[in-house]
Formats: sequence, C-alpha cells, structure tokens
Amino acid sequence: MKSEKDIVYWIALAHLSGWNTQFINQIIHSILFEKKMSFEEFFALKPEEYCRLFGLSDVHSAELEQAKAELPNNGFLAEYLHAQGFAVIPFTDDSYPVLLKKNIEKSHPVVLYVKGNTQLLNEKSAAIIGSRNALNISLEFTARMAKRLTEEHKVIVSGFARGVDRKALDEAIAAGGQSIIVLPQGVLTFSSGMKKYYRHIVSGDLLVLSTFHPRAAWSIPLAMARNRYIFGLAEEIYVSQSGESGGTWAGVLDGLRRGRQVFVRAPDAVESNGNNLLLQKGAVPVDMDGNVLESLKKDSAEELRKSVQYELFD
Amino acid sequence: MNRQEAEQKLKEIFKHERFYDKQWEVIDYVFQGKRFLFIQRTGYGKSLCFQFPAVCFEGTCVVFSPLIALMRNQVNYLVSLGISAACINSNQSKDENTAILQRAMNGFIKILYITPERQENSEWIDAVLKIPISMVVIDEAHCISVWGHDFRPAYRRLFELVRLLPAHIPVLATTATATSRVAKDIYMQLGSGAKYVRGLLERKNFHIRVLHVASEDEKLAWLADFIKKQNGTGILYSGTRAETEIYARWLQMNEISAIVYHAGIDAENREEIELGLMQNRWKCIVSTCALGMGMDKPDLRFIVHTQFPASLVHYYQEIGRGGRNGKPSQIVLLYSPDDNKLIINFIETARPPLLSYNKVIDALKQEALGERDLMLSTNLWQTQVRTIIADLLDQKIIVAVISGKQKIYEYLYGAPEFDFTCFEEIRQMKYMEMMDMMKYAESQSCRMQYICNYLDDQTESICGRCDICTGTSEKVYITEKVQTAIDEFRNSFFPDLRLESKRGPACLMNGAAAAFYGFSQIGSVIHKCKYENGGEFSPYLIELTVRAFNKKLSDIHYDNIIFVPPTESGKLVENFAVALSKKLKIPISRGLKKDRATHPQKVFQNVYLKKNNLLDAFIFEGEAAGRSFLLIDDIFDSGVTIREIGRLFQSLNAKTVRPLVIAKTIGGDLG
Repeated sequence: MKSEKDIVYWIALAHLSGWNTQFINQIIHSILFEKKMSFEEFFALKPEEYCRLFGLSDVHSAELEQAKAELPNNGFLAEYLHAQGFAVIPFTDDSYPVLLKKNIEKSHPVVLYVKGNTQLLNEKSAAIIGSRNALNISLEFTARMAKRLTEEHKVIVSGFARGVDRKALDEAIAAGGQSIIVLPQGVLTFSSGMKKYYRHIVSGDLLVLSTFHPRAAWSIPLAMARNRYIFGLAEEIYVSQSGESGGTWAGVLDGLRRGRQVFVRAPDAVESNGNNLLLQKGAVPVDMDGNVLESLKKDSAEELRKSVQYELFD
Repeated sequence: MNRQEAEQKLKEIFKHERFYDKQWEVIDYVFQGKRFLFIQRTGYGKSLCFQFPAVCFEGTCVVFSPLIALMRNQVNYLVSLGISAACINSNQSKDENTAILQRAMNGFIKILYITPERQENSEWIDAVLKIPISMVVIDEAHCISVWGHDFRPAYRRLFELVRLLPAHIPVLATTATATSRVAKDIYMQLGSGAKYVRGLLERKNFHIRVLHVASEDEKLAWLADFIKKQNGTGILYSGTRAETEIYARWLQMNEISAIVYHAGIDAENREEIELGLMQNRWKCIVSTCALGMGMDKPDLRFIVHTQFPASLVHYYQEIGRGGRNGKPSQIVLLYSPDDNKLIINFIETARPPLLSYNKVIDALKQEALGERDLMLSTNLWQTQVRTIIADLLDQKIIVAVISGKQKIYEYLYGAPEFDFTCFEEIRQMKYMEMMDMMKYAESQSCRMQYICNYLDDQTESICGRCDICTGTSEKVYITEKVQTAIDEFRNSFFPDLRLESKRGPACLMNGAAAAFYGFSQIGSVIHKCKYENGGEFSPYLIELTVRAFNKKLSDIHYDNIIFVPPTESGKLVENFAVALSKKLKIPISRGLKKDRATHPQKVFQNVYLKKNNLLDAFIFEGEAAGRSFLLIDDIFDSGVTIREIGRLFQSLNAKTVRPLVIAKTIGGDLG
C-alpha cells in the first residue's frame, strides 16, 4: 500500500450509501487523475465546490459532508483492521487485480479487504461455481476440476458457500493448490472461517477477500453481488451445477452478457437443473474433466448473446 | 475563539481565572486542528489543554489513558463541574460500559476516557464507528516509545491510529517525563505538521539528597531513624518484592506503621492499600515501582529509595509523586554502587533467548493461540510469553485477533524475519541509563539542575535546597543498640507464604518460611543437600524452621505433621519433617502420597503446566475430616504443589492445612 494514510478516505468513499460503484469510481478518478487533488484537499472542499468542480448534486454534497464527519470513525476501523492483519487495497494500488478491472470495467470494487497472500490476486486463476445443494456428480466434477486447475498452477476462486464452493476450496487445498475465497459478507464477520483455514492463510496458499463493509453481515443481496466479483477475479469460469434461478444462474448470465466464456458441465439426460439452459444461452459445454465438447457447442455466439439480452429484458 | 473569549468561558465552566501561557499555546493549536505533543510536569494542568477544547467542540473527545484510577479521578472532577464525562473500563460491569457507549453514540458525552487496550475490543469498535468524534488525546504518551521507561505495547496501536486518522482531527499527546529521544519518537509518530512544547521540570519544594551507604545494615539503621522524624506520610521504594517485605517488617519492628505494596498482591488488596494511602492510614508504604503512576495524592512528605531505579527518568517520575501541594518534601536516595547488580540482572533478563522467540513463532505458524495455550505449548513462563508477544506484535510478525471472547495471536503471512539484533541497542541504552543514574548519585552538582538538564530542560539555575547546594552531606553511624536490633531482626525475619484466597481451598491457610532462598546462605545449603548429595538438612535449618513456626504458626493446634512426598526417591523432606515432629511434639503422618509418577516441578516454566503435572496426583491415607495439618516442604516457589494438596484436603473436609517450609524463592520478584 503506497499511502496508508488515505485509507480512511477510501473507506468513506467506497461505502457511500446510495451511490453506485461506477459513480464512486468516476468521482475518485476525477479527484485523483483529472483534478489531481489529494483526498485531504477534496474533503476540505465546501458543498458548493463539490457542485461546481465535480457537478455533484446538493444531495450528494450533503452525503459527502456526512462522510467527512465520519472520517475519524473510519480511522478507528482502519486501525482495527490493520491490527487484525487485514489489508485494504484501493483500486489504484499495484496489488489490485488487473483482471478484476478488465472484467468488470467501471463497476470494479472501490477497495478490497483482504487477509493472506495478496500475490494470488494477480496469478492465473479459475473459478468453480455451483449450487449449494449439488448432486454427487457435480461435486465429483468440482473435485476433478479443482485438482486439474491446481496442477495447471491456477488459483481457484470460490465463494465459500456450502456445496460446490466449499468442495472447490477444499479440493484445491488438498491438492496443494492456492485459492481465493470471495466473501458474501464483511471480513470482520468471518472469524470461524478464518480459524478453520488459518494454516493455509498463514502459509500463503489462501487469500480471504471481501468487497463489502468490514462489519457487514452475510445477506442474500451481498451473496448475489459477490458472484460478480468471483467472475471478475477468474480468467476461466467453470459451472458445476446451476439452478434455473439464484446466484449461480444470475452470475453466469451476467458473465455471458459481458462476453465472458463460461464452461458448463454438460449434464446427464436425467438431470433436472439449469445447466442445459445455460448451454443454450451460449455457455460452453465441458465433460467431467473440463474438456470442451465440440459436438454440443452452439454455432453462433452472436445469436446466443442476443438470447441472453432477451432474458435480461424479460 | 481568542484568548479573552476563551478565558471568559474558562471562568464559567472550569472556575479558573486564566490559562498559563503554555496552556493557551497548546489550546490554540488544538483549535486549529493541529497535532501536538505537550511535555509538562505533573500537576501543571496538562489535562485542561484537552478538556477545555473538548467542551467547546461538537462531538466527543476520546482520551486514551493508561490507568483506571487516573481516568476515574478526572471523570469525577469533570462531572463535578457539570461536564458530561465518562470512562469505559474493565472494572465496570458490561451493562454499565454498554450504557455509556450508548450515551456516547447519541452524542451525550463530551469526554470519554478509555484504556488503549480497549481498541482491541470489538464492542468498542462497533460503538466508536457511531460516536461523533471531535478530537483524540493520548495521555502518558511516553508509553508509546520502546526507548521510554514505561513501554506499553497497546500504545503502539494508538500511534497507528493517529497515523490513519484524517488530517483535520486534532490530536494531543501529553506526558510528564520524556527524554529528548522519547520526545522525538512520539513527535515523529504524530506525523507531519505536529507541534511540540516542553515545560519546566523544576520542583521548588524538593529537598533532594543522596546518601552513600556501605551496607544493608546502614540502610536499615538510617531508615528507622529518618522516617520516625518525618512529618506526614511517604513512600519507600525498594527494588524487589522480597525487599519490600523486609523493610516493612523492619519499620514495623521500630514501631512505624508500614505496609507492603507490589504487583504480587492481589487486585482487591492493592486497591485497599491505595485507598489507605489516600487516607494516610500508614506512615509509610513500602513498595516496588508498581505503586504510583496516576496516583493523585497531594501531601506525600517524603520519597525514599533504598535501591536506585533503572534510570533518571524513572527516578524523576517516582519522586514526582512527592509534595504535589507545594509543601517541602524530602527526597532521599540511599545509594550503594553495588545496587547496580539488580539493575544489571533486570537488563540481562529483560528478553528471553532467541530460541524462545522461535518456539512461539513456530507454534503460531501451526495454529492461532491465546496466551495460555502458548504457555502450554511452549513451556515458557508468562512474563516471557508476554514479552515475546509484545515484541512480535511490534515487529509485525504476529497480530492479535479477537475470537469470540478470547484474544488469540496469529502469524502474519509474509511477515518479516524476526530481528533479535535491535534489542542489543535497547540493552546498550539501558546500561547507559543505569550509568547515568549512578553518575547522578555520584555527582557534585545541584541535584535538581542535574535532573532537569538530563531531561532536556536545560537550566543554569541551581535549586539551593539539595545536599550539594547546602553542603550537608550525611554519613550513617550505627550505634551498638541499633546493630543489636538489626541482628535480632535478621534472625527473626520469616517470610509469609500467602495462600489464602477467595477462589482457593478454604482449609488452606497462609504459612511461613524460615528464610528467603536467595536472601541468605540458606539457598545454597538446601541446594547442596537436595541436588549434590550433601546429606540431611542441618540442625541449624531445623532450628531456624522451628523458630519460624514458633513466631508465626504456633497460634493454632495441629493434629498432624504431614510432608510433601518426593518426586523421585529420597527421604530428605520426610526426615526433616520427622525431626520437626520431634521438636514441635506434633505427631507425624506418612499418609500423604503420590498415586502416580510426576515430573520435577522445576522442569515446567509456567503455572499451567505445573498444575497439570500435579493435578489429582496426591492421595491421603488416613483420617482428614475436621483435622488440622502442618504441611512441611523444603522450598516454596510457585505454590502450585501446596495448593494442589490444599485442594485434596478440602475435598476430604480437613479443617486446616498450613505450610511451613525452609525457604521461599524470590524469583520473578521485580514489580
């Protein structure tokens, strides 16, 4: 981290309630690179200057004033995080994953809260995702993929949910690989997981990451939002089993919409889940070892994207 | 706000007419949102420099203070002025603390005092995120510096906090004692733009002298004579816990009311003694350096040291407790160059060997552990584990994490290699400080001037009151009568074995030892008998132990003498107990036995492992219910063995178990 003393400002901006991430990123970009101001200077501005220099509304200015009043509180939080071994990585930092910015573009997280080996953020990576209540065949696929990807020296990105996520993590660890856990909650509410995977964090094989306020408790919206970041952190995406709605489903659709290549396990004829539907929408079918099944592949990627667009507008 | 307006407000709220110039200088900077280090002697009014702005600001001023007593005094004072102040501390119930936090979150508290350790508490962090904060104060800021005399690891975090706070929040650090090196250390950590003001250190009511003594007997003789002649009450500082007991007993023998205070006394009794001190219940408190910080007693008339402290900074701080009401106070150091042995020992044992550090690091690489589990897995004693943890935290090799209600330590991925070499510089510095302290004692220049200059308050003026200025150097003469009294005292001083406690077995009473292990030749005599085939304990030891019994334990009837069974074969203690049984005419019982093998207790470095070694290891064959026992052993160290036996006899409904041993060790005596 180059300028730790700016952390309070980053935290304040990252969690401005009601502001969307893309807008926050734009403002930060404008402060640092266009106006070439320091955060200290920015937060010393008067409300009218927020309007004049940055085109912010009165409501936004008032919210920034509130954020300014809370800066000392963020100082206490930042110290607490630091003392507990967490690092805060703003998007301007060298260790911030390049891939995440590339994949999610302007809506990339403002800051990352992490514990462990931050070098894993910029290694070759693959995500294995799927349902909480996965079939045995899906768990078997997950295990095989985790092993294979680990052998290819790829960092396994997963979401620490029950089922496929946990299987991917545990298999990667068992195979001596490296992993990133992307949390659906704040880092300070994850002490049991930290304890369980302590040795792997300490040895540098595991990085715990969250994009949410450190004190945020687990919630469904956070879990849904987290999936986008799992996709963003991975070069390759393997879907073990998806429902026809829910986190995996929504995450894959979002990925396809962004033009990502998503590998989905080709299901058995008897299976009743969303895998076939995802394949119809343009995902790439793979066998139990992750090899692409050319015969099942759809021809026109453009057409598929269209179908996804329709889906999203439904 | 200009000074005139501020002084108007000062009068209304604090009932003071005006600020001192230095106070206003600091307050003015605080109003400008600056960061400030203010070094000023105790009693000057440093606190007003944050209390006044805090009252003027919107929101809550958070004050980190190291001592609960100190916080309580200030809160009481502020509340008496109608200012909403409160403190969060571990002596209050959880509900009380929660209620205070709630008031702070609602913006109803102007000044909130907390200990630096509170920053580790997750409930505090949850609350502080919602408290409107106006400024941050770090009291006793010298605790931050490893170069300081009172380094406190939790203070390290405060400066991390200061570094992370936004630039516009005022931060004030205050201390009464800091060398230029410590001041620089604090000042640097306050960040760019910080200011620094140092006040004058001279105490015009101090009559300082250094008395050169040639022996312990001279100290004893002089003390009894001096303290009797003093008006009012005072403190006698000595080097070890054992010494506090010896001096207190000597003063008592000379009909001077005296009481012992040190860190080994339980919290409840310490509080009682502190209260008694405030009420002048005793003429003299005999204490280690554990007594004093944050103590706000205005009328101590004398401060005597029987052992010179580790540095002049320590000395200035300890004597600074005298005469706060401005009345003449006697400040005396009984100086013998040989007393440097204790300081050297302290310096040399301040840090465990590198191997012990590696043990802790290796353990934490495997598993995150709390202090107790670390002690169990490394077989290191508590003080060592605490020192190691503090150093590893400081070097950012480990972090402290709250897991549930427990504090555990985690190894940090990517941590730097442990650097043991940096301690060498600290060690050298401590030697230099000791030498400087000795130079002070041997110097022929004004004492007050010497101290002020040393503490960076450069002054040309001399005090005119010290032994050098007045040319009144003194010598101690021991009369024959006093020498006889001292000899008699030495032959009849039997250390207490403090075992009675609310949580311990009810049948276990305090006991006695015939001597301190390291205080006399007794230790080597025992060692020879015990470990070098030196034969039975001598008739002299039996005689001495009988005298200890007669003086301290003969007030009740004993049904039996029992003795601690040996770990390995041997009848040394048994034969000793038999000899005592004959002399004291108390029948011996051989019923106390071990029903499983144990390891020698000295193998284990900490109480937890010692306890595990002996847990349920004893049995008693015989009738115990309703009976009283005199329990014999050779050496009393941690007390774990005696307590375990006490536990057994409690379960057997014994009436009393009272230990009598030859020697009590004085290990771990500092503090």
